[in-house]
Amino acid sequence: MPKIRSEKSSEGHSSQYENILKKNKKSKRLAEFKKTFPMYLMLIPGVIYLVCNNYLPMFGILIAFKKVNFSIGVLKSPWVGLSNFRFLFETKDAWIMIRNTLAYNAVFIILGMAIAIFVALCMAEISNRGIAKIIQPIICFPSMVSAVILSFIVYAFLSTTYGFVNRTFFPDSPINWYATAKYWPFILTIVHFWQVTGQSSIIYMASIGGIDKELYEAARIDGASKFKQIWHITLPLLKPMMTLMLLLSIGRIFNSDFGLFYQVPLGSGLLYNTTQTIDTYVYRALLELNNVGMSSAASVFQAIIGFLLVILSNALVRKIDKENALF
Amino acid sequence: MILLALYCLAPFFLMLSVSLSTEHSLSTGGYSFWPREFSFAAYDYLWAKRFTIGRAYGITIFVTVVGTITNLLLTSLFAYPLSRKDFKPRNVIAFIIFFSLMFNGGLTASYIVWTRLFHIKNTIWALLIPGSLMGGMNILLVRNYFNANIPYSIIEAAQIDGAGVFRIYWRIMLPLSKPVLTTIGLFAALGYWNNWTNGLYYISDTKLYTIQVYLKKLMDSIAFLKSSDIASESAALAYKAFPMESARMAIAIIAILPILLVYPFIQKELVKGLVIGGVKG
Repeated sequence: MPKIRSEKSSEGHSSQYENILKKNKKSKRLAEFKKTFPMYLMLIPGVIYLVCNNYLPMFGILIAFKKVNFSIGVLKSPWVGLSNFRFLFETKDAWIMIRNTLAYNAVFIILGMAIAIFVALCMAEISNRGIAKIIQPIICFPSMVSAVILSFIVYAFLSTTYGFVNRTFFPDSPINWYATAKYWPFILTIVHFWQVTGQSSIIYMASIGGIDKELYEAARIDGASKFKQIWHITLPLLKPMMTLMLLLSIGRIFNSDFGLFYQVPLGSGLLYNTTQTIDTYVYRALLELNNVGMSSAASVFQAIIGFLLVILSNALVRKIDKENALF
Repeated sequence: MILLALYCLAPFFLMLSVSLSTEHSLSTGGYSFWPREFSFAAYDYLWAKRFTIGRAYGITIFVTVVGTITNLLLTSLFAYPLSRKDFKPRNVIAFIIFFSLMFNGGLTASYIVWTRLFHIKNTIWALLIPGSLMGGMNILLVRNYFNANIPYSIIEAAQIDGAGVFRIYWRIMLPLSKPVLTTIGLFAALGYWNNWTNGLYYISDTKLYTIQVYLKKLMDSIAFLKSSDIASESAALAYKAFPMESARMAIAIIAILPILLVYPFIQKELVKGLVIGGVKG
């Protein structure tokens, strides 16, 4: 542009030219605006929802550093620093719930992976596709029902007076399951795997389905047994998926299935020692004990550690397999 | 494998069997896998209680239908601009979604936001909105589907023909992305149908009970009566007023029934969901 402007003789000409350019720019911007404005409009409902549902609660973590008094409002409540956390970690509950959350998750992750792969391997060995097509939906169905239904099912087995287990195996000395904490690690593990095994094996079934069949044929020609084929072909090829699943679940190791740990034991107070997890504690402190301070302290503790773990596990996933990293 | 399938089915069968037994056979013989004395009494009882149960059922259906449709609309509306390469802020917005997936304020904070700021306690909104209206993961799923399966040339052609952004979204993107919308729609519907925690946190008005909350409260009252002194007369009376053992299981059965009806469709999606999720945009 400066070149045109410097030439005096064509001044009138150039301003006209600039005008056209300006107009063009304006209409271009207008066109751009016309094009993008509806897109912003489309985002509005979702953004409002994200703000209300996700981002406002993020600021809500400040509650953990306050002594909340609803009569003067959350914002005006006095700051108390870390004292909510100090109180929380002085109780025995803190230790119990962290221990339970981590221990259950460790069992669920390790045993869960072994069971899921075992089931996927067995499914792959069923030569009759028709039968496999019937079995797969059946073993996936338990994951479709809610924790409330689950609690009814467990109750049908464990009810002290009528329960199937007591009537069938202990008719003379019925066990009061809902009052005996020591059985619950086993009960919850069984219930958990009953519910998730089908679904968690699907992902491995899909991976096994994607393996090149020629590999097995070559192995068979070389005289490899079924077991050897699985050991030397299938499992090594499943390794990336296993690593991915492992890392993803490590990111959630401080979280637990609220329904399983709260509703299935019917919220029984006698079972806290083996059924209390961080999630059930947060709920109980908030709505049963009305102790907002303790509840928010536990909840924020979980959120922050969870966040760090997700970042960490994602960094590891990224290192191993960039394709599958979340970010 | 067949054993495993039986193991997965047996508990449902036990429920069904209990719901079809007479009360007398249950109190003498306990729960068993085959009804010792066969009867439909439990289902007659449900019919007698049809207004209470029907109401809970109706609310659940309403919430499931409205929630699922809103969820699909919000998700696809949000995913479309994100999929457009000529929409500049899309990376910033994608990050906002990522961040909401990684970090959350936890139950206490969202409970206080929803109840103290928005006052949704004991309203139908409490069943529809918190936590379940739009999922970050689904937005990314739909965006990836838009990117991978709908060629940009179609959009360009429509633009040349003078179609606006909304028109393209409504007439091109939505019809062409039916598979992914079916997948997330079915899972959203399942989520709404099975959701009992929103009812637990925010609903105390019996008129707004969903079928899941109704079942949960039924279980609570039984646990409470069992723990209180049965010998006390009022507790014994209250216990008698509650539905019989068989009726309770019958209600649970009719809460599973709708899931069973749509399960063939969901079952297909279980695998497909994985495939779609695996497509990277």
